[in-house]
Amino acid sequence: MIRHIIKLIWNKKGNNSLLIVEIFLSFLVLFAVLSYVIYNTDRLEVPTGFDTENRWLVFLDRNDKDMDSTANAQMRINLKNDLQSLENVEDVAFSNPIAPYSYNTWSSSYDDLGFEMRSRFLYADINFEKTMNINVTDGRWFDETDKTATYEPIIVNQFFIDQYFPDKSMIDSIIPFGGDKKIIGIIDDYRYNGVFEELQETCFFYQPYTSENSEIIYLKVAENTPKSFEEEVSKMVESITKSSSFVIQDLKAMERRNNRQTWVPMIALLSISGFLCINVALGLFGVLWYNINNRRSEIGLRRALGASRVGIASQFTGEVLILTLLAVLVGVFFAVQVPLLKLIDIPPNIFYRSMFYSALIILTIVVICALYPSAQASKIQPATALHED
Amino acid sequence: MISLDQVSKVYRTKTIETTALNNINLEVPKGEFLSIMGPSGCGKSTLLNIIGLLDEPSDGAVTIAGKQVQKYASKATSHFRNEKLGFIFQSFHLIPDLKVIDNVELPLLYRKHVSAKERRRLSEEALESVGLKNRMNHFPNQLSGGQKQRVAIARAIVGKPEIILADEPTGNLDSVMGNEVMDILLNLNKEGGTTIVMVTHDENMARRTHRLMRLYDGSQIK
Repeated sequence: MIRHIIKLIWNKKGNNSLLIVEIFLSFLVLFAVLSYVIYNTDRLEVPTGFDTENRWLVFLDRNDKDMDSTANAQMRINLKNDLQSLENVEDVAFSNPIAPYSYNTWSSSYDDLGFEMRSRFLYADINFEKTMNINVTDGRWFDETDKTATYEPIIVNQFFIDQYFPDKSMIDSIIPFGGDKKIIGIIDDYRYNGVFEELQETCFFYQPYTSENSEIIYLKVAENTPKSFEEEVSKMVESITKSSSFVIQDLKAMERRNNRQTWVPMIALLSISGFLCINVALGLFGVLWYNINNRRSEIGLRRALGASRVGIASQFTGEVLILTLLAVLVGVFFAVQVPLLKLIDIPPNIFYRSMFYSALIILTIVVICALYPSAQASKIQPATALHED
Repeated sequence: MISLDQVSKVYRTKTIETTALNNINLEVPKGEFLSIMGPSGCGKSTLLNIIGLLDEPSDGAVTIAGKQVQKYASKATSHFRNEKLGFIFQSFHLIPDLKVIDNVELPLLYRKHVSAKERRRLSEEALESVGLKNRMNHFPNQLSGGQKQRVAIARAIVGKPEIILADEPTGNLDSVMGNEVMDILLNLNKEGGTTIVMVTHDENMARRTHRLMRLYDGSQIK
């Protein structure tokens, strides 16, 4: 029967070509959208490696460099002590200007006799781990002993280890990374641009909070701290820094804003794809309905020649399924070029999964659309249908 | 071979009741060529549809090859039609998107355990018997009316049915082509022993068959 259906499809290739093109294009659009969605949502389950709830960030004025280094350090000591003394502040930490969701990135690579290591750099103080709830999986975070360490201490994420030193115990190892650096700790991650960010090699360097590069203050505030507390913090920072050019931001709000930038286009694209699928479904439904009405005498004839009702329904469903499979196969041929030729630099499995889901969605739509008209076709009375012609 | 006992067919709507067949009794022995005549709307096609299991009688019993077929379930009816009956229609009912050979193959497609090779062989044989083997790769729209009806006959006989039901097989043909088709049917009946029931408007064609049954307003004229 399959061969018979293929003959029918081939002999009506002119009529079928438009439907094949429609399904083929729908497959490609779905493939592109699903690849984008899968790429972005794949890491939703992977923690970013830090907390955003009840965390406030104070961005200090970067232009305020007219103080000498002693005054600068003293200002930061005062900031830390005074902020820490506030009732609602549980922890205070400092880092260089690479703040979460700020889209600032500093990365570099070092080549040691052909072994190249690339990483993002971050500078943070001793309190950073506790304040941001960083998960140290091996070794430790920076402490007082690192101020006078022989080798500059670094803390890297697990991805860094997986990329460059897989299956090796690297704690206390010295690595040539812009000079000899000692890995003192491994954290699970610190994806500071959010859940949608790709896993990347990340490396923390120690920076005392008294450093003039410690431009961001991280506050862990108590749960249910009112928004009005921001004014208290603001007044304190202003009185210590003698400047009003600073910004206080709620990290959770920053995270929401950041995530929205990915969610909105993703939902928009999914909605467009949804409408496209509905369009395809309606088109298919219409084509099938038209076909069945046009082929009533053929249905009557087939029934007279021995086709059962199930046989008629299967034939019409089979015809549209084979057409769809053909269109999807052509689609897969083009889609598979993306990972094979590495046209886009994202993991190939995303494309393969997207191809699978696109084909599944299209085939499901086709089956759903084919079932009712096919069932109607099977109910056509042969005597009536044969007499109509 | 075919036995109809008190068969009636009534079409009912909410307001109208139309009697298409009224107490028809009919016995067609194996190997007979029966023709049915009557004016339009007298129930000839309805009778043929009931014999061909394409329609159900409202009342009465239909026995074909010793089996009370009106009690069959839908699937069994399809199977029975496929195995025992061959159909020829006035308007040929060839599928325009299939080549002649594929049209002829159709009944075998619904028969289990017939390989593609066997289907091909039987279809070529059937086409040869109606003199159209050389046209097997043509499409129906490339054939004349007579040729189309010969293809339809090949399709009707390809499964070697015991009974052929022909609904005005020469109705759409000129007299020359009509006679050609009639000759083939007579030959099938004579040589193959196939039982044939033919509905016709043509008195001359009817006279060439073994027996003529006349219908008027759904009733048999004695």
